[in-house]
Amino acid sequence: MAERTVKIEIKRQSSPDSSPHWDKFELPHRPGMNVISAMMEIAANPYTADGKETTPIAYDSNCLEEICGSCAMLINGKARMACTALVDKLDQPIKLEPLSKFPLVRDLSVDRSVLFENLKAVKAWVPIDGTYDLGPGERIFPQVQEERYPLSRCISCCCCMEVCPQFNESTGFVGAATIAQAQLFNEHPAGKVLKEERLHALMGDGGIQECGYAQNCVQACPKQLPLTKAISDVGRDVMVQAVKDAFTR
Amino acid sequence: MATAQRPVAPTTHRGVQPLRAGQGNSFLLRKLHSLSGIVPIGAFLIEHLISNFEALKGPAAYAAQVKFLNGLPFVRVLEWVFIFIPLAYHALYGVYIWARGKSNVIYYPWSGNWMYMMQRWTGLIAFAYIVQHVWRQRFSGVNLPEHPGAAFHKVQMELSHPWMLAVYAIAMIATCWHFSYGVWLFAAKWGITPGDKARRRFGFVCAALGVLLTVIGLASLYAFVGPMYKNAPADLSPAQIEQGSMAPAPAGAQVPASN
Ligand code: SF4
Ligand code: SF4
Ligand code: FES
Repeated sequence: MAERTVKIEIKRQSSPDSSPHWDKFELPHRPGMNVISAMMEIAANPYTADGKETTPIAYDSNCLEEICGSCAMLINGKARMACTALVDKLDQPIKLEPLSKFPLVRDLSVDRSVLFENLKAVKAWVPIDGTYDLGPGERIFPQVQEERYPLSRCISCCCCMEVCPQFNESTGFVGAATIAQAQLFNEHPAGKVLKEERLHALMGDGGIQECGYAQNCVQACPKQLPLTKAISDVGRDVMVQAVKDAFTR
Repeated sequence: MATAQRPVAPTTHRGVQPLRAGQGNSFLLRKLHSLSGIVPIGAFLIEHLISNFEALKGPAAYAAQVKFLNGLPFVRVLEWVFIFIPLAYHALYGVYIWARGKSNVIYYPWSGNWMYMMQRWTGLIAFAYIVQHVWRQRFSGVNLPEHPGAAFHKVQMELSHPWMLAVYAIAMIATCWHFSYGVWLFAAKWGITPGDKARRRFGFVCAALGVLLTVIGLASLYAFVGPMYKNAPADLSPAQIEQGSMAPAPAGAQVPASN
């Protein structure tokens, strides 16, 4: 019985400034294997399909259960999480590439700190520093909680930004994830104290107005965040704030 | 308090730059672009298509409509303030938006992404068409504001070239598409239809609007090229226009179609 194998092609680049090349691998098939476990196999036996020795693939991953958000990459051309990309469900050869809109670090590892910068720019937090006891928090109604919970599932993977036609170097668009997080904290009884500041931030260049409503973000999001709803809701809040500003500032 | 800026990145930034919180005025410009597409441009488009529909009642009725519009108070001011300037702004800023988007419909062939791309292409088609349309019909040839009676003939001559007719038909579809999806986008982006269901329902409304406008537009094109008003007179006297849609069919209509 011939051994079943898995063919994988990986776009590699050893440093941010070197030029990319493709390495082909052929691995023994194991039931239930995913893209990350396949790359672990390569690390354990770093030989390409034509028998040349190579280095293990550099990639980000941590939780292996789609909750840390670190393993996003282009799998057969589409942005998704590698740890939940089951090899049996993918067309072969499986083509792996790094996310294309983030500065490359090495191989499949990219620098996604722009999302962190954006979350800071919209103050995506509840401003409580824990230095003294504020007493019990305000009650959150279940209805509000049900609106907020789906937004809280974001794992900062940046898939929504990678697939967005408006997220690129000429627009400097903030991307759907940050808008959704602004909404999450605007709806929090203590977090809403910064709502106005968040809305002002999102009016800046690269803000919510750059969204072209292609709705790719909501299709690609591995955690099914209601991103288009968030963009719509925040879009209204920003507009109302802008009109208020025009008359009262 | 924490007034100190975070240290500026020493080297040039790689990749997409972060949000410029609260800076710049692209918000205002972009929202003006969005709004101008609905009012005044969208409103004018509807007015224009309804006016064109008068052509189905014949050259006299069409001339009467042209005369009525050109009789509005401050009509030249209205024309510039509510049509030409907003149109030019919407078109030029639209090209700027188009140029900065990176369509990726090949990798992500999802319906919203297709519509995103179509909104850009229909916009570009409409822009190219409108430039030649305004030039050829409004600013060159017979001056229609002064000779409303010549309107039907002027359009008929234009549409007598089959390729020009094709240009008009394609542009009609593209423009109605762009407008009706634009209404949908407006509602979605300004937070009027945030919910998925609301957006889907409004999608049907906008699709119906688009089809209706396209049908109205194409029907009026047919008035100029169909057999009903062949060889319309080059100009109508004020008296002929006065009689409006009740006027006898123009002399040219009796001539049997030669081709
Ligand atoms: S709706 Fe489209 S343009 Fe807007 S953030 Fe999502 S993918 Fe980007
Ligand atoms: S919104 Fe979804 S796609 Fe975007 S970063 Fe969060 S989890 Fe990822
Ligand atoms: S490894 Fe954590 S999301 Fe894939």
